[in-house]
Parts: sequence; C-alpha cells; structure tokens
Amino acid sequence: MPGVTLEARELSKWFGSRTAVDSVSFTAREGEVIGLLGPNGAGKTTTIRMLSTVLAPTGGEFSVAGVPSSRPADIRARIGVLPESAGYPAHQTGLEYLIYHGRLFGLSRDEARNTAVKLLGQVGLSERAQSRISTYSRGMRQRLGIARALVNDPDVVFLDEPTLGLDPAGQREILTLVRTIAEARGTTVVLSTHTLPEVEQVCSTVLILDKGKVLAAGTVADVTSTDANRQSGHLRVPPAQVARAKEVLGGVAGVSVLSDERRDVIAITATDGMNAALSAVVDAGIPVLSFQIDGARLSDAFLAMTRGSTS
Amino acid sequence: MTAAAGERTRAHGWRIIAAQECRDLWLSGRGPLLLFAYAVLLSAVTYLAATNQILNFLEQRESVNLVLQIAVAVGVLLTLVVAADAISGERERGTFESLLLTPVSRGAIVLGKLVAAMSLWGAAFLVSVPYLWVLGKGVAVVGEAVALGLVIGTVLALSMAAIGLVISAVSSSNKVSLAVALFLMLALFAPTQLPAMPTSSVGDLLVRINPVTAGMHYIQLVLLKGHGWTQDLTYLISPVVAVVAAVVALAVAGPRIVRLAGGVGSG
Repeated sequence: MPGVTLEARELSKWFGSRTAVDSVSFTAREGEVIGLLGPNGAGKTTTIRMLSTVLAPTGGEFSVAGVPSSRPADIRARIGVLPESAGYPAHQTGLEYLIYHGRLFGLSRDEARNTAVKLLGQVGLSERAQSRISTYSRGMRQRLGIARALVNDPDVVFLDEPTLGLDPAGQREILTLVRTIAEARGTTVVLSTHTLPEVEQVCSTVLILDKGKVLAAGTVADVTSTDANRQSGHLRVPPAQVARAKEVLGGVAGVSVLSDERRDVIAITATDGMNAALSAVVDAGIPVLSFQIDGARLSDAFLAMTRGSTS
Repeated sequence: MTAAAGERTRAHGWRIIAAQECRDLWLSGRGPLLLFAYAVLLSAVTYLAATNQILNFLEQRESVNLVLQIAVAVGVLLTLVVAADAISGERERGTFESLLLTPVSRGAIVLGKLVAAMSLWGAAFLVSVPYLWVLGKGVAVVGEAVALGLVIGTVLALSMAAIGLVISAVSSSNKVSLAVALFLMLALFAPTQLPAMPTSSVGDLLVRINPVTAGMHYIQLVLLKGHGWTQDLTYLISPVVAVVAAVVALAVAGPRIVRLAGGVGSG
C-alpha cells in the first residue's frame, strides 16, 4: 500500500468568532488524487492554506511527507500549490517566472533553467516560454501556475479551483495534467473544485466539506452510496395533470415533491426507492410521459448533503 | 528538495528576492519613471537656483544646500513610497501568496524587499550628484555635500524604507498603506519648511526629535555654517535611533506581520 503523504488531525481555523474549518481530519497517500468539495465558504481554500502553511491553524495538527506542521519551511519545500486567485507578474516571461521560483526553492541557476524548460514542455507552454505572461490566456496562466507548483518536485500538490473560468477544452487539458502528475510522478494531488464531473473523472477519493465540517470522506463510490437510499428523479406528465400528480405523490409515504423546474416536470425525492411513487401515479390513471432516476451520482450525494448551503 | 537546495534557500533567499525585486522595479518602468520625475524636479530647482533673479542672490553654498535638501527629501520620499507598496501591492496583485509558499523565510522576504527599495535611494542619490557639482563648481563644497547627502540620506532612507515595509505589511490594502506612508512623510517633512525652527528651546527640541528635521538641520550646519562633522553630532541621535528602531522592529515583527492578509486581527 502506498505511504501516507498527507495527514490532518482535527484541523480547525477560526477568524474571530467565525469558524472557517472545524476539526477536519483525513489522510492521503502517494499518487492519490483527493477531491476537496464543498459550496462557497465551505472551508476548502482555508484548509489548503493551512496545509500549505500560509495560514496558521487555530487547532489541530498535520504532517506532509512525514514533516510535522511545526516545521513550516520544511513543509513548503515539499509541497506545490496553485492558489485560487494566483496572480502573475505581467512583465516576466513564463521561463523567467519559473526560473525565479526554482531558485527560491534552492535550485542553482542552471538547475532552475533546466527544470523550467522541462516543466514548460510538460504543460505545453514551450513555444510561449519567452513571451510575457501578460500575453498568456487564462488557461495558459493556469498551466504555468501548475508548472510552478511542480518546480520543486513536490510530494503533495494542492490545486485550488484550477479549472475556474476555463472553457471545456481548457478544463480537459488541466484535468489530463492533474492525472498525469499523480500517475507519472506518484505525487499526491489535493484538488479543490466546484465542478463535480471533474472529481468523478480524476479523483480517487473525495472529502465533502460544508460550513467547515467534513460531511463525507472516502472513495467516490463510498460517498455516493452514503446517499443511495435517498433517490431523486424527474417525472413528466401532461401539464393538465401536474397538480393532480403532485397531490397523489404528496400522499405517498417517504416521497417529497421538490420544486417545479418545468411546467410539466415534477422533481421528487424518495427515501425508499421510486417504485411506490411511480405506482401511485400510474394507479391514479395519470399518464407518465417520462420518468428518470437521478441517483447514484456524486453530484446527487453532494447536493443532498449540502442542500442548505447550495440552494 | 535536497539538503543542498535547502541550504541555498536559507543562505541566498534574500539575495534572490532582492535581485528579482530590483528587476521588477527597474525593468517594469516604475523605477525609471520615478527617477525621471525626480531628475526633472532637481533640474528645475537647480536651474532656478542658478539663474533666477531672486534666487540667484543665494550664495553658492546656499544653492548647494537647497538642492541637497530637496534631493534627500524627495529621494527618501520615493524610497518610502516604493517600500509602502512592496507587500500590500503584491497582495493586491495576487503574487504574494506564491512568495509565501516558498521555503524562503519571512525575514528573507522582508530583507530582499528592503534592499530593492533602497536601490531607488541609491539611484536617486547618484542622479543628484551632477546637480550638486554644477551648483558647487568653484567653491570647495561639492565633496562635502555629496558625502553628507550619502550618509544622512542613507540613514533617513533606510529608516523610512523599514517603516514603509512595516506599514505595508500591516495595512489592509495598498491604498491604505500608501496613504499612511504619505501622511507620515508630510508630517515629518513639513517642519523643515518652517523658518528658523531651532531658535527657541522648544523649537530646537522639535527639530531634534524629528529624525528628518534633525538630519536636514545637521546638513545645514555643516554645509552653511562650516561646522565640523563631529561638532553637532547630537542632531544625529534621532535619525540613528529611528533607523535602528525601524530595522529592529522589522526584523523582530517581520516574521509575524508578513502574511497573506493585512489588517489587524487577520489570520
């Protein structure tokens, strides 16, 4: 079994009286891509900032590659981070930027240049290495940021919303890069994101946060199954029958009617499967035009767990 | 990261940051622009001192003193402004977090930025030398004026740069940092424009406790009154105390105040 590279125990952060992160504990192993999920304000960025030693935890402790949180400079030497709102010096070229950061991590001038050239190639920016960063697109800046996060050959990489603001092609490029980092280098990647399909695509495990607390942790399959008993679905009936169908569904035990997304579609959730709901509508003589079960997806589990925060 | 790399970071981190900060200052155009404005100001003052019907009644030593005082005052002001932007400005541009994520110590970050801010004072002082030479030609005062400007100006610039960095580190925004720095500068320099301050004992005390007025007065005493360098050393107590206090405060508080967010109580 791969070794543990990241371990957080009861990690907490308060800003005054406000709790940003509340007793978060988890572990991550070599080559693992762990998805950090949660609505806005869930504590994802604060968690990453604590683990990357930029913010001091109010409580709890953590270790990275066996280095305890009491040695922040040594931890920073072993991690790479792409911050959420990373800025870039517009007048520097991509190559200069990576050489500078390589040198800050103790590489000699030649080592820093060689590493920068290699990383620019890996993130597909070789041809723009000598261009000023001000001429880079957002996707290119994100790729440059990922290259910077790898400049010290880290044990753990934290990527905070790396696909934010990118078009689908740009998102795909970044996700491919994330997978490559984990697979080829054996690096642990902590990926914070809002985009759930991304997590299903690349993450081996997930951690769902809400209001600073861990709501669920485990593999994607584990987390999805925690909400498996509660299924959601969409029932389409003729518009004239919608009111009656709602009335019928309201009388079925364990079934809740959600909101009207469309005039002829009723969104429902059921705690004991959908059969009773469907039977009740059919028995009432209401024609069912279509019926779709949404459950068994990470997004359903996520939305169910964080309903109060995401609505 | 290897042990050798870690050692290099600890030993040379501040130099790498200072070199990059200097490149940012001088190659981005900000430094040259400030220096150009400084040169224009000195040119205007020198021209007036040398040719104006009223001002040219000034004795040559007085002209040199006038230009030197302005050169030191504005050079120190520019240094303070650059230092006040060094941390809060980077926070706002979003580049500071990347710097904090490197193994370089907070102290080395501060030192690197201090050196870069001081490079502006060095360049400003070099620009002022030809003006002093033009005005002081023929009287043996240029060498003394240059030496005085270098010593007193460097002490004042270093203290203001250190104070500027502290202001920048604790300010909640770059706007606040620059506003506080400019207010401080005005408060310290305004008394230099009051006529004959040290004639009363209270006035003399006020001159002595303000490092800027004390430094300027010392320059005046040496340059105009012909006092020896050691004769009025007591006027240098407050500039020396200011630079020692500011640098020590920066060294002690630096690691705690150099953080991602400014403002009181931020984490």
